[in-house]
Amino acid sequence: MVKRKLGALEKVEADLANLVFARLRSYIEDFRAQHYQYESHREIFMAAPTSATDTGIISLRDLIDFISHVADCYPEILKDFPQQLIDMLMQHHLVLEPDLREKLVGSLVLLKKKDLLDSATLLHTLFPILISTPSKTLRAFIFQKILSELRNANSKTTNHKLNRTMQTVLFNLVTSDRTSSKGVWAIKLTRELWKRQIWTDAKAVEVMKEANLSENEKVIIGGVRFFLGGDKEREEMEDESSDEDAVNPGRVKHQLTINKKTRKNSRAAEKALATIKKKERKKTQPHLLNFSALHLLHDPQGFADSLFSKHLQNTKSKLNLEHKLQVLQLVSRLVGLHKLHIMPLYSYFQKFLTPRQPSVTSFLASLAQASHDLVPPDVLSPLVQKIANEFVSEASAGEVATAGLNAIREICARQPLAIEETLLQDLVMYKKSKDKGVMMASKGLLGLYRDVGAQMLRKRDRGKEASMGLRAGGKQEKRFGQQELGGIEGLDLLEKFKEEERRKKREEKGLPSDAEDDEDENEDDDWAAWNVEDDEDSDDSGDWVNVQSDVEIDLSDSDDENNAPPSKKPKSAEDEAKPNAETDQEANISKLATTRILTPADLAKLAELRTQASVDALIPGSKSRRAGQSSTARHTDDPLTAEEIEGLAALSAGKATREERIAHAKEGKPDRSEHKSREAKRKERKQEQGKSTTNKEKARRKNFLMTLGKAKSKNKRSLVETRAVLKAHHDRRKRGGKRGNAGT
Amino acid sequence: MGSSAKRKKEKQKDFQKPKLRVGKTKAKPDNFTDTSFRSKAEENTAITLNQQSLHVAAPSSTSQFAHHLSLLSAKSDSQRRESLAHLTTSIASRPVNSPLPQPVGVMLPSLLPLILDANNTVRTQLLKLLRALPEPEMEDQVAQLLPYVRAGMTHLAADIRMSAVEVLSWMVETAGESVVTCAGGWIKTLNCFLSVLGWHTEESARWSSHRASFGKSGSQGRPMVKVLAALALFLDAGVGQPVLYESENLSDTEDGAASWPFPLCQTAHHMVTESAAPYAYLNLFGQPRDEEGEMYETREDRYRVFETRFLPAVERGLKSAREEGGELGRASSGVTKVLKEAISYGPGP
Repeated sequence: MVKRKLGALEKVEADLANLVFARLRSYIEDFRAQHYQYESHREIFMAAPTSATDTGIISLRDLIDFISHVADCYPEILKDFPQQLIDMLMQHHLVLEPDLREKLVGSLVLLKKKDLLDSATLLHTLFPILISTPSKTLRAFIFQKILSELRNANSKTTNHKLNRTMQTVLFNLVTSDRTSSKGVWAIKLTRELWKRQIWTDAKAVEVMKEANLSENEKVIIGGVRFFLGGDKEREEMEDESSDEDAVNPGRVKHQLTINKKTRKNSRAAEKALATIKKKERKKTQPHLLNFSALHLLHDPQGFADSLFSKHLQNTKSKLNLEHKLQVLQLVSRLVGLHKLHIMPLYSYFQKFLTPRQPSVTSFLASLAQASHDLVPPDVLSPLVQKIANEFVSEASAGEVATAGLNAIREICARQPLAIEETLLQDLVMYKKSKDKGVMMASKGLLGLYRDVGAQMLRKRDRGKEASMGLRAGGKQEKRFGQQELGGIEGLDLLEKFKEEERRKKREEKGLPSDAEDDEDENEDDDWAAWNVEDDEDSDDSGDWVNVQSDVEIDLSDSDDENNAPPSKKPKSAEDEAKPNAETDQEANISKLATTRILTPADLAKLAELRTQASVDALIPGSKSRRAGQSSTARHTDDPLTAEEIEGLAALSAGKATREERIAHAKEGKPDRSEHKSREAKRKERKQEQGKSTTNKEKARRKNFLMTLGKAKSKNKRSLVETRAVLKAHHDRRKRGGKRGNAGT
Repeated sequence: MGSSAKRKKEKQKDFQKPKLRVGKTKAKPDNFTDTSFRSKAEENTAITLNQQSLHVAAPSSTSQFAHHLSLLSAKSDSQRRESLAHLTTSIASRPVNSPLPQPVGVMLPSLLPLILDANNTVRTQLLKLLRALPEPEMEDQVAQLLPYVRAGMTHLAADIRMSAVEVLSWMVETAGESVVTCAGGWIKTLNCFLSVLGWHTEESARWSSHRASFGKSGSQGRPMVKVLAALALFLDAGVGQPVLYESENLSDTEDGAASWPFPLCQTAHHMVTESAAPYAYLNLFGQPRDEEGEMYETREDRYRVFETRFLPAVERGLKSAREEGGELGRASSGVTKVLKEAISYGPGP
């Protein structure tokens, strides 16, 4: 009885909302009645918030729902409605029943959507509740609402004002009470918004920085994790969103012409085309340049100093080993990235560098990360010495020695002066070790020093290239603090590419004629043609280009004629430039960038070549991988992990599961689907395209019982019938199928 | 297959006796059920049956009263109604001048939500119960009652609106002064009246406008008559000629003057009033009030507010009601009479 009535009344109310939307003025009286109803229920509720609000048929929750849905129709009646909801929520959120609580939050968000409430007020209402309520569900609900509110506010354009106030609130939350765990919410919110690229500015990083310096364990670790992984998360998110669902526009259009035309189909097609268009527009938009959080830090030296002294050096810090390691990782990354100086950090490492220390490889990785070319060798060499003494010996286990050698190599890759000559020579001797890991690690060290300091190696270890370089005097040992000349990454690749192109052209033209004699002329022609077709933007004076073309051609000449007779060499214009060009790669590179204007086409090619090179480096067996050691291939932003220090030992049976080993083996190899016959692959492809099987296949698949009748009747055929059937079959064969494609 | 060695061994198992060990208790059989647990309640009383304890002695009348009071929030309609009926009879049939089994303040929180009850009979029973309550005690409880009554008056269901109006007219009869003076009692209640009658705006007051839009009421005329009668009572209590109260006051002061010795005169005015909440108008502990929720303690205040906010609407509504004629028109004349008296008296002496 009651139930039926209740349903009917609810229906009335739902109808009323629709009616009110349709005819505002004529329903004002009914709305007013509902509003009084709400007012008196609110009064009852405010008098005793703890008691049940579900009085009679209509509850306060339903009334709030109704009123907030039609709130934009009667703004003058409802001018203090939002404030009432806010008061209700703020004062009684601890004792409210969960449904009503959520309804209040939802209604406030709805009112914000209807512009009866501004974002700042909404956030100022919800945020204090988020951090103070003990209810988990409410927290989750509010967190999600706050997040979506911030996303919405920033969807069209960046809402700087709102962001700034919110960031200030978060900043104050973190800094006001450093011992409380409430800062976790600031971290969660900031991290989420960072991930979605809504907040990409220094202020958000500042919030995280303050979180790192808090005294609550949770908050500290949350902040540290953000700096160590936040940017990677952001990149992954971007990748994910960019390759969501690839729709083929051609196929969509084609299907639209074939399939039955329904409204649903056309709507789906429209949607698909719209997403394609959107994606296209996105592609043409300039790519946003987002700095990583570590780069946006203000005063990294001070930050790293205080992190180190507060959490690591301080004996009273409550962090456990795992957390300390994370903090250490952050500090060392900061030191390595910004080339900071924290001298006590290196002596701090001293006591952890023994094989018995738990997760020592992480310590080694951190140490390697913390070393850079501006760290005095006096500070690093005792550490290197200690690693060598503790880890690397004939008696120690293979994994231990590998870890030690790898760590030394990583340190020395960053600061080549950190190791003494004798020690280096000793360590290089391990290349003859029986243990594969040790042998590889030692060879890695050897390869590194052939590059950066060949004269420290014994003569027979130097190798051909290095000793030749030494003899020519090109490979000088770098001195402490000496800086390399900067260049554009991959410029040498671009130059090589251009050279190749030119050579190809010359061969095309030059081969019919006498290649040796007319080469200079050909080159000039080439240059002119090449110049015209490639340099769309340069309308420079001809002679300017000519002068510099000479230089370039000469360089190419010298490269080209490595195997050509030496008698050619004196012909070229500038003789003196050649040995320089041969020995010093740097000068060669810088010339291209400084003497030529790189066209957009050039830059695009440069980017392409760079990615090509990085892909090549990943593919096993390629020469570039063997040549380029991991230290050079790695970007400075990427962290050094404990796995890299462990080397082969990470793969050993005890440590890795089968899946991990398989994943490692597959790493870098191009995707390969499982083995299948060609027929099976073809069938799969057909099925994917939504095509049917062949008649043969259908016949083969046909249910046995269905074929039985025909087979039986075949036996009973008369001779005449058999003849007819055979004849028909023969005819069909001749025609080429039932419909016949051979005759016509 | 059946006579295999394995089969035989399995059969043998059934006849093996468990070994008895010295110093150990006998092993329990497999299907043993532990029955050692006893609840505390069981230890105290004679029988426990499905968590309902049966006593030898019959329950006292007070405990029965409390039990029925708790049953007021029961799910079934008939249960609520019967409990109400029981409470009514036990209040009405108690010896004269004996106190209530439970104080009114304790009873009200469970009674009040029933004003909005979905069931018609429950509400009529509730009104009976309210009428049975001793009148003098109601004055202090009016402020608690009013929000529920107002919620009832604006309810979607027409019959709930009507019974709320009935409750209101009972309240005005028993404690008219406190109904109109308590916080929110004047403006908010008048608003509710206007919305029940549909007199708020000009177009909604016209006779052609659909008045049955919220909720469905079977007979249009009867409920309106009741509402108009209640409005007349309410207005009379609020802004009617204060002759009655004046004379009461006079007699009061005279009595007071008589009780005070000679040099003191008009001392009674300087004493703390004897009402339950003498400083309620200061609103020391409640929510801040707005204009609508304010207390209007004197007739002068009430009349001022009424004249500015409600008089035009009420006059307009009365006019259309009179033009409608019939029973409604006759009922409206009662309100008109009160209104005329109030206007003739004006804002006050």
